[in-house]
Amino acid sequence: MKRSIYIFSDGELKRKDKTLCFETKEGKKYIPVENTHEILIFGEVTINKRLLEFLTESEIILHFFNYYGYYVGSFYPREHLNSGYMILKQAEHYLDHKKRLNLAENFVSGAIENIKRVLIYYANRGKPLNETIDKINSIALSIKDCESTEELMAVEGNIRDEYYQAFDIILDSEHFVFEARTKRPPKNRLNALISFANSLVYTTVLSEIYHTHLDPRIGYLHTTNFRRFTLNLDVAEIFKPIIADRVIFNLVNKSIIKPNHFEKKLDGIVLNDKGKQLLIQHMDERLRSTIQHKRIGRHVSYRQLIRLELYKIQKHLIGEEEYRPFQSGW
Amino acid sequence: MKVILVYDINEKRVTKVLKTCRKYLNWVQNSVFEGEISEAKLVKLKMELKKIIHEDEDSVIIYTFRSAWYTNRETIGVKKGVQELII
Repeated sequence: MKRSIYIFSDGELKRKDKTLCFETKEGKKYIPVENTHEILIFGEVTINKRLLEFLTESEIILHFFNYYGYYVGSFYPREHLNSGYMILKQAEHYLDHKKRLNLAENFVSGAIENIKRVLIYYANRGKPLNETIDKINSIALSIKDCESTEELMAVEGNIRDEYYQAFDIILDSEHFVFEARTKRPPKNRLNALISFANSLVYTTVLSEIYHTHLDPRIGYLHTTNFRRFTLNLDVAEIFKPIIADRVIFNLVNKSIIKPNHFEKKLDGIVLNDKGKQLLIQHMDERLRSTIQHKRIGRHVSYRQLIRLELYKIQKHLIGEEEYRPFQSGW
Repeated sequence: MKVILVYDINEKRVTKVLKTCRKYLNWVQNSVFEGEISEAKLVKLKMELKKIIHEDEDSVIIYTFRSAWYTNRETIGVKKGVQELII
């Protein structure tokens, strides 16, 4: 399976001998181009046009993150799966209020289902979470009555509030308390973890979208605007609980991540390089780990699961099959 | 699938083989590569190699493992090339 490469060192990434080469002061490292599908850049990396041309040819996406680990942007090579038909269908579903709401509802209910799975998983391990689950269930009832995506977002927000409050019960760690969700910058360690993990999920979904006919600019739950990709945010909602959050719980509960992996910056708290690398390592493992897929009847990795989700959306858009969001079954 | 590739190639063609292997696998030692690769990519790599080598002089051996589960990897001495996720 193709790998993701994460660059933290400073150096020059270039094309050499028909493959990729990362040159630092210490020496050259060759990256097998045929076996790479995305590169995430955290360090100070010099690139040139020749490299970008080569990446386009090899269909590799570059994601850039700034010094603090914030997502900066991506080099999204020229679409290699260019389907005008699909864009029209996407736009049609966006412009038709009913169709858009239907898709947005699916994303929200998928996210909530997976949030509940996570909570039930920990409830089965003796954490007192039943109250939270009941509360979420009662808020979730109002999804059906929502008449706009803003209302849906609000319901989802309320549920996420309840869910995040439950983090303290799941984690039970003095160093990692939730308090409140804070972003840009995150005010405590747990928020820093959540923010960074989520941005990794967003880029992963974006990379997968690149390999489908879908256009990441047209999202349904998140309003399409002039600024950023939104479809990946929609799809990420479904996977955040089962990928990002579960990884965070593992890291904290097994004390793999410690207070010394964080630092005070920007009036808030961010992960330092060691912390980022730990999270990335575990996220990557999680994305490559496989589960038995009921419908397909074979093992698929979480990354492939995201791709399958996108194929389901495509099928929905061209009217082949009604979209039902993925629900984890464990 | 996990792959280990070793070669013994006439000097005239050895750099070509090295460069081709670098496109698909990670270099670990002189004339040794390893990595995780799909079946299709392996076929492609083999075809590329066949075009370069002279079959009466050079030799390439490819070990494949369906999964890395039952393998163990140990290094004694200098670590030359390492296959890393984070660089």
